[in-house]
Parts: sequence; C-alpha cells; structure tokens
Amino acid sequence: MIEPIVKGMTGDEAVAWAAKQINPDVIAAYPITPQTIIVERFSDYVNDGLVDTSYIPVESEHSAMSACVGASATGARVFTATASAGLALMYEILYVASGMRLPIVLAVANRAFSAPINIHGECTDQMVCRDASWISLFGESAQEAYDETIMSFKIGENPEVMLPTMFGIEGFIVTHALERVDTLPDKTVKEFLGDRRVIPACCTFNPFAVGTFGSLVLQDNYMELKRQQEEAMQKAYHVTKNVMAEFSEISGRDYEIIEKYNLEDADYAFVSYGATAGNAKAVVDRLREKGEKVGSLKIRLYRPYPVSDIYEALKGIKAVSILDRSATFGSPATIAQNDLAAALYGKKDVPTLHGYINGLGGRVLLLPEIEQVYEQSKKYHEEGKALTQDWIGYRR
Amino acid sequence: MIELQRVNLKEISKLEPALTGGHRLCAGCGAGTMARQVTLAAQALKEPFMIVNATGCLEVATTIYPYNSWTVPWLHNAFENAAATASGTIVALEALRRKKQLEYDQINILIFGGDGGTYDIGLQSLSGAIERGHDFLYVCYNNGAYMNCLSLDTFIMTEDGLKRVIEIQLGDLVYAFDQTTGDLVLKECSGIYDNGTKEVYELKTLHHSIKTTLNHPFLTVQMSRKKDVNALIWKTLEQLELGDEIIVLKKLTGGKSYTFKKIDLSVRGDFKVHKINEIQLPESSNPELMEFLGLYIGDGWTRSHKAETGFSFPEKTDARARLVFLSKKLFNLEPSTTSLNDVYLYSINLARFIESLGFGKGAKNKIIPSWVFTIPLEEKEALVKGLMQSDGYIVGKSKRYVSASYELLKTLRLLLQTMNYRVGKIHQQTKKKGTFVVYRKLLEDSSYGYVCFSKKKEPNIDKYLSQIKQRNFLAENKYFSSEKITSIEFIKEEPTIDLRVEDEHNFIADGIVVHNTGIQRSSGTPMCASTTTSPAGTVIPGKIKWAKPLPDIMAAHGIPTFTASPFYHRDLMSKVQAGLNHEGPAFLLVDSPCNLGQRYEPNISLEIAKLAVQSCFFPLYMTYQDEWAFTSESLRIANNPDKKVPVEDYLKLQGRFKHLFKPEWKDKLVEIQETIDNRWERLIKKTKY
Repeated sequence: MIEPIVKGMTGDEAVAWAAKQINPDVIAAYPITPQTIIVERFSDYVNDGLVDTSYIPVESEHSAMSACVGASATGARVFTATASAGLALMYEILYVASGMRLPIVLAVANRAFSAPINIHGECTDQMVCRDASWISLFGESAQEAYDETIMSFKIGENPEVMLPTMFGIEGFIVTHALERVDTLPDKTVKEFLGDRRVIPACCTFNPFAVGTFGSLVLQDNYMELKRQQEEAMQKAYHVTKNVMAEFSEISGRDYEIIEKYNLEDADYAFVSYGATAGNAKAVVDRLREKGEKVGSLKIRLYRPYPVSDIYEALKGIKAVSILDRSATFGSPATIAQNDLAAALYGKKDVPTLHGYINGLGGRVLLLPEIEQVYEQSKKYHEEGKALTQDWIGYRR
Repeated sequence: MIELQRVNLKEISKLEPALTGGHRLCAGCGAGTMARQVTLAAQALKEPFMIVNATGCLEVATTIYPYNSWTVPWLHNAFENAAATASGTIVALEALRRKKQLEYDQINILIFGGDGGTYDIGLQSLSGAIERGHDFLYVCYNNGAYMNCLSLDTFIMTEDGLKRVIEIQLGDLVYAFDQTTGDLVLKECSGIYDNGTKEVYELKTLHHSIKTTLNHPFLTVQMSRKKDVNALIWKTLEQLELGDEIIVLKKLTGGKSYTFKKIDLSVRGDFKVHKINEIQLPESSNPELMEFLGLYIGDGWTRSHKAETGFSFPEKTDARARLVFLSKKLFNLEPSTTSLNDVYLYSINLARFIESLGFGKGAKNKIIPSWVFTIPLEEKEALVKGLMQSDGYIVGKSKRYVSASYELLKTLRLLLQTMNYRVGKIHQQTKKKGTFVVYRKLLEDSSYGYVCFSKKKEPNIDKYLSQIKQRNFLAENKYFSSEKITSIEFIKEEPTIDLRVEDEHNFIADGIVVHNTGIQRSSGTPMCASTTTSPAGTVIPGKIKWAKPLPDIMAAHGIPTFTASPFYHRDLMSKVQAGLNHEGPAFLLVDSPCNLGQRYEPNISLEIAKLAVQSCFFPLYMTYQDEWAFTSESLRIANNPDKKVPVEDYLKLQGRFKHLFKPEWKDKLVEIQETIDNRWERLIKKTKY
C-alpha cells in the first residue's frame, strides 16, 4: 500500500484531479451542469500547463463523442464527461464507440432528464445506456469517483476487452459535496495505467497504415461482429475483478465489483447503487442496533452485470428492497429490479424482490423512509408477495 | 487571395488512385468521378493524407465489409458528424506527436460529406470544427438524393392486369391517377430500382393494405374546414397519421375478354381410354367459362398425366349440378359422376388448357392470374359467382370466401377492389383436425384464411352531393375514392424495389395510389426540382425554395471556400490542393451529378456537370477574406457573356425538371432564369469589388 495524499475535494474535482494525473492525450467535452466543474478544472490544468492533454472545446455533446471516436481510433487515450441531456445527445455515437471497440472513458454526473427540466441527481440517464455495450460503473462518494476514473481506463483498454467505459456519480449529491479524498501520487497512477498504445500502430487510424474504420457491414457479418462485443463484455467481468483487486492493493481500499455490508447472517437486505448505498448502510446500522438481521449490497459494476457474485451474496436472504434512483414507467419492475430478477430467476434460495423508485430529480431519501421500506418489504414477504414495485418519498 | 497552382496531369496520371475500382457506386455516378479527382489531387501533393467520410452513397458503396476500395487510411463515424470526428483525429495525432509517440511533418485530412450530411444534419458539426480552426479540407459532394421503396410482394395494376412489382419491366403501361382530371390513365414505367433491404411497414385502411418503407409517399386528402375545397397532397408514410385519408382505386371499368394463347394439343390419347375425347376449347374468356374457373379455383385440381380434371363436389350439391351443366355446354364433355364425393372430367387437352391459364395447382398454391384483371366486369362477377358456389358462404349481407392459399386471398381481394366491392382484411387461422369449416370436417390440422366482401352501397349523389362530398371528396369520381388509414405497423426488414412512372409520377400498388421513387428534398435541392418529398404537383411545381447558400455560409466563417465541377477537373484538382495546403479549415463544394436523382441517362453525367457551369447554374469560383474570384469556365463567361448558355439547356436534360416544360409552368422557367441571372450578376459585382 502506498501512503495516500489526503485532499478535500468535491466529486467533480476528484474526477478532474484523477484525469490530471492520468494525463490523457485528448479530452473533448461540452459543459453541462452538474458535470461543469470537471471540465472547468481540467481546462485550468490544460491552460496552466499541468497536463499536456489536447482539449477540444466542441460545440455539442454529439460532437464531443464524435471527436472522441475520431481521436480514440488513432490509438490515443481519450476522456470525456457529460450528464443527462448531454448523454442523451451522445446516445447515437455511444453505439459507434462501442461498435468500433474504442476504449473511451466517460464520466457521467448523473442528472434527471427533462421535462420538467431539473438539474439534480438521478441515474436514469446512465441506466438508459446500459444496453449500449459500454462497461458501466457507479460510484458512491468523491473517493470512489477518484478511484473509478483511474480504474475505468485500465478496464476498457485491456486488449481482451477494448470497450468504452462510463462511470456515474450522482449530480450535486456526489459531484458538488466536499469530502475527504485519499489520492495516489502521480507516479503511482502512471505506473498503474501504463501506456494506452499497446495495440500495434497498424491497427489504428494513422497516416502510415492503410486501414478502413467504420465500414458498412451487412447481414452476412453484422451479427458476428456484435457477438464479439458480447464476448468482450463477458471478459470485461473478469478484467474488472482483477483491476479492482490490483487497485485495492496499491490504494489499501477494498474494491470489489459489489460491496457487501453485514450480509453474512442477514434475513433482509437493501440493494442499491451509487450514493443511495450510503443511506442504506446507515439504516442497516440503526436496524442492527434494534436487533434486526439486515444488510446492504451495493452494485458497483452494473454492466457487465455480476450475476454470480450477486446471487452468492443474496442466497438465503428472505427479501430484498431495491432502492432505485432512476425512473421507468409502465415497466414490470424498477430498472435495477428488472436486472436483479433476471439474474436470480430459477435459482435456489433466492429472496423476494421489492423495488422502490426514489429520489428522482434530486429528492432526498430520508433514513426513516428507508426504514419504512424495510418494514414494508418484510410485510410483503410475510404476505407471500414475490415481486412488487412502489414509489417512495413523494407527496401522494 | 488564395493562389491556384496548375496541376501536372502527366504526373497525376502515373499515380495509383486512392479510390480503386470494384466499388459499388451506380454507373454514371458523379461521386465516384469526383472522389477520384479529389484524392488524386491530394496524392499529387506527396504528403500523407487520411479520409473521414460521412454516411452516404460514397461511404456505403466503397466499404461493404469485408471489402474496401480505399488504399489510404479511411474512417467513417456517422451521418452528421464527419467534421467533429475529423477534429478528434487531428487533435489526437497532434497530441501523439507532441508526446513523441508518432512522427510526421504534415498530414492532410480530407472530409467527404454529401449534401444531406453537410447542408442539413451535419452543418452544426462542420461549423463548430471550422470555428475551432482544425486543419482540414471539407469536400461536400452535392447531388440532393435520399431513396424510398415498396416491398417485393406488392402488386401493381398494369394494362396487362395485376403484376408483382418484381415482374414489371421497363415500358410496361401501368395505371396511374391523373391529378388534374381525377381520371384513371395508363402511363409508361420508365425506371425500376432495386433498393436493397429496408425496414418495411404495413399500412392498412378499412379495405386496403400495403407494405412499404417509411419514406414512401402516398396521395392524401387535405381537409379544409374553411373552404369547401379539399386538396390532394403527397405525404410520406412517416408524415401520415391514423385517420388521414389516402386515395385508393375503386373500380376498373372497361376491359375486354381475354384471348387465350394456343396450347399444344395432345393427339396421343387420353389416360386409360386410349383415344382422344373430342372436346371444344374456348378461344377467349366468357362469363360461363369464368364461372367454371371459379368452381375450379375453389375445389378443382388437374393431373394431366392422368388426363384428369377433378372437383370435390359431393352428390346433390348445387355446385355439382352447375359443373355438370357448364362442362357440357362449354367443352361438350360429359363428366364422370360415379364417385360420391368427386366429379372427374377426363380429357388431357382440357387439363392442359386449364393448367395454361395460370391458376396454379393444388389447394395451397392457387392464385388469380393477372389476365383476370383485364376482363370485363361481367366476367369477373361470373368468376366470383363460381368461387362462391365452391368455398364461399353468406353471412348476413356479406359474402365470405375461404381458402388455404394466402396468395389467392390476396389477389382475390385486389380483384374485388377493382369491382367496387367493400373488402375486409384477410383473416388467417389454424384449425385442428376434425373441426367443421364451411360444412366440412377437416381431415388434418390445417391453416387457412378468409376474406369478407359485399357490394358497396352507392350514395345518392344527385340528391345529397354537398353532404357526400364533405365526407368523401372523391364521391363523384368513377375510379377512385378515399379511405381512412386504420393502422401503420412495422413488419420487418425486407428487400425492396421501386418504380418510376412518367408524367403522372404515381402508380397503383396494392390498390393504393403511391408516388414514384426518386429523391427527397434536402436543403441542397435546387428550386423547382421535383423530388418525392417536394414533388411536382398541379399546384406546386416541386421544391419552392432555392438551395441554402452553403458556400456563402462557409465563406462567412472566414475560410477559403471553393466551388468545383468534375467536368473542369484541372480547376477542381487545383482547388483541392489549395485547400489542403492552406493552414486551417477550407471548404469545397462539388457539383456531383446523380443520374438516379436528377433523372438522366448515366452516360451524360459529365455533360450535365458541364452545362451546370456553362449556364451559370453552378458557377465556379473561390472566395477568401471577402475577396471573390471566378475560375476556369466561369471566368471565361464573365469575360465573354456570349458564352453563357440558357438554363433551359441544363434543365431539359433532367427528368427532375421535366414538368417545368409544360405550358402551365412557363413562368417558372422564366423565374428560374431570372434568379440565376441575378445571382450571377451579384457574383460579378463581388468579384469586382
């Protein structure tokens, strides 16, 4: 373990600081609240000569992701950041980036979609991209924002994987909250990541190699190429595990693709991702004091979905309440509940699942509300209800 | 001002082209010529260069995986972001050089985009990249084309009856809707296009349905509440909404009895009897024969090797009695009625005759052949009568016909639609063995369908004309009526094809009036050009506005801006080199003729390009920092105005402007000439300023 350099930073600043240490070749970004601080800080680093990254101040997020594709194809290390509407505008090119197997890294300051317009925290923006063949991570705190920025490059750039990676931190709740962040020395970050150009120059878009990128692929080959993406995703699962283990060693912070909290002897559990996990853990502590056997599971790696790890962690638990800070309408279950139900379906000793959509548009999820969720799930379970979906924390 | 250097054609002719042969651009396509000229000019600079290509004809036709036609580094991202993508590449290469991971002196970046990807959806990306000052030459090849089509199993109404769209040949006469008189007219088919696999949707009205792509245009009624006058306008499937009324065929009148082709008659003898049953065969269609054939379609089969034509009509049925009567009368042939369930006609020549008529063998493969669509109404009615006696039954006021052949039901439905019947959709179902269907028990699991139809009630037009016209704009029309759209659904991706019909620019597909194929307007489409989304109608002569002044917009960014034509290739190549040598962004607009979109023969592409310049429709010039200069042919015309040719010479060679030469659009022609003259004068002023 390396002695940390302790800093006080917001989530956005932590991302910008990590990006500064990584010193990518190209950043193309367009500002949008609550991601703004990332690009502002980074612009400072560029103009103060602290990094030798080329910064492209594009005119839209669509062009941001387009420029990232053009840059990453040359073999350069490329980073960008966005939120909400910006991510939606990038959506078309997200598929181009993953289809062309370009390990771009994208920081998402998770924010609610319009309308009505709202600038605050909610993870729907990232959730709707879960099928875009991007590796998808969520971070709970400024510390995790810092750590995941670094790890994302290492995962996506692995030659076995070669897929883009996005990681999300919730708008304002994480992006703008000042926290203690243990940072690594520049040299350590540099050594951890190594050089992006591990692929030979003949396979990149450069003036000295005759290559065709982004050609038209018809019925005869399209499916084979898409299948390769799926196989890369499956490899990304193992690569992520290894990268997190390696990072735990140098940082001294325990990283796993899922975080288990008091689950060993638990009868009931919360499942969440991102900042909500912090609230869930606080409630677990309160309930444990009262003698309730309850624990919490945080999903850090959302795509590829860690099916077996989650099953092992939840096996034998009676009921699970899913705290889902993302919106879906007319769906059989909340977004995270849908995935969880599919992961557990047909297996033995699985819990009943109760999904709770909460905290939309930055609405604060109060601890007593989570306790209510717990009581409610317990009651549903005793009544024999296997799958329910509710909204909490809104005026009826 | 930018200095143009003369290109050395001798040197250039020695180069291996960056765009090699084997690409799949259309014969006569200007984009292929243009791309080769541009890349040869870039190659002649002897500096490495890379291409970023927007989605479009050039991209699609040159890189069908696993092949490609480019011998230089080439990248495609999407339709609207070629300039942004190139920004990323340029900046990344600089970064890699700075970090000493890549060594080079100078790299030229060429971007290719079509008019759609540049004038319209990609303008923001291009403007942003220019503002950031990246070093590239953006080449916009302008032809104004995007395409649209019908599914392969669509039936087209032609002079020779109903034909599948894939059976239509150039020169066939197809029925069309005359937009001026509302009459049914015959027009020549002048183009057939294979448009590849596309997403196909099914559009349904109460009595019609058609499979088509999203961008295919349909003739629709535009309701006007204020005035009592409704109008007809073309809308693409995308623009149509449920409840919109589209124009459909009501009735095909006229028609004449069909003369059968002579068949080889057998003299060797019929099966078992070893002698020929002497029968008479009709020379042309008549009502009684059609009724007989109706019975045949329903329950008949032929086995010519056994000289047998059989019908499954049980004893004591009306159909059996009628068949016996008709056989004697038509063919002078006594049927064998010894079987309880079946009736047999033994004659090898009769079997051969029936097989030659094209109704198909076996219950699942029956179809109504195209010639039936050309016979008089009376004969068609007789066919329906025969059909009803075999597999039909009556439910209340409506008739219902059952068959295991989907093709038969589909063609019958279309036939009924030419006879002024109301026809429901085809109901398909699967029944288990033992179930009763039309009074008969099924011997095995079977899937079959049925259509319901009934005579249309003619409204009393004389008495209630205004009310009826309010409801049905075409109430008085003999051949056409309008129907409300009830559903539009995605089916699947299918191969598609399209037709072009002269003059009326429409044809009748699956009983619905649809528009020709062609191009859809982009902001690069010139004034009065007919495209499928800005068609030449009776009220509006094609696209109303002039093309977006893209060179002016680019020049306003303060960058070197050029226009060029593939006919004046030296000029084009000089401009490419000047654009690439300039440090920072530069823009080149190339007039790239498209024989499919502009509608001319593929061998005159360069002639078209030449006339565009000589008529000053597409002047050749360059501009930088508020200075303007003509080049090449345009410079010669500016110095000697006698060289300027009338714009008519350019327009008349192209189908997309054909309507302008009708007397009613004479004014438009004058207007176009005036506009071109004005623009030319303004350019002259700019160059002298």
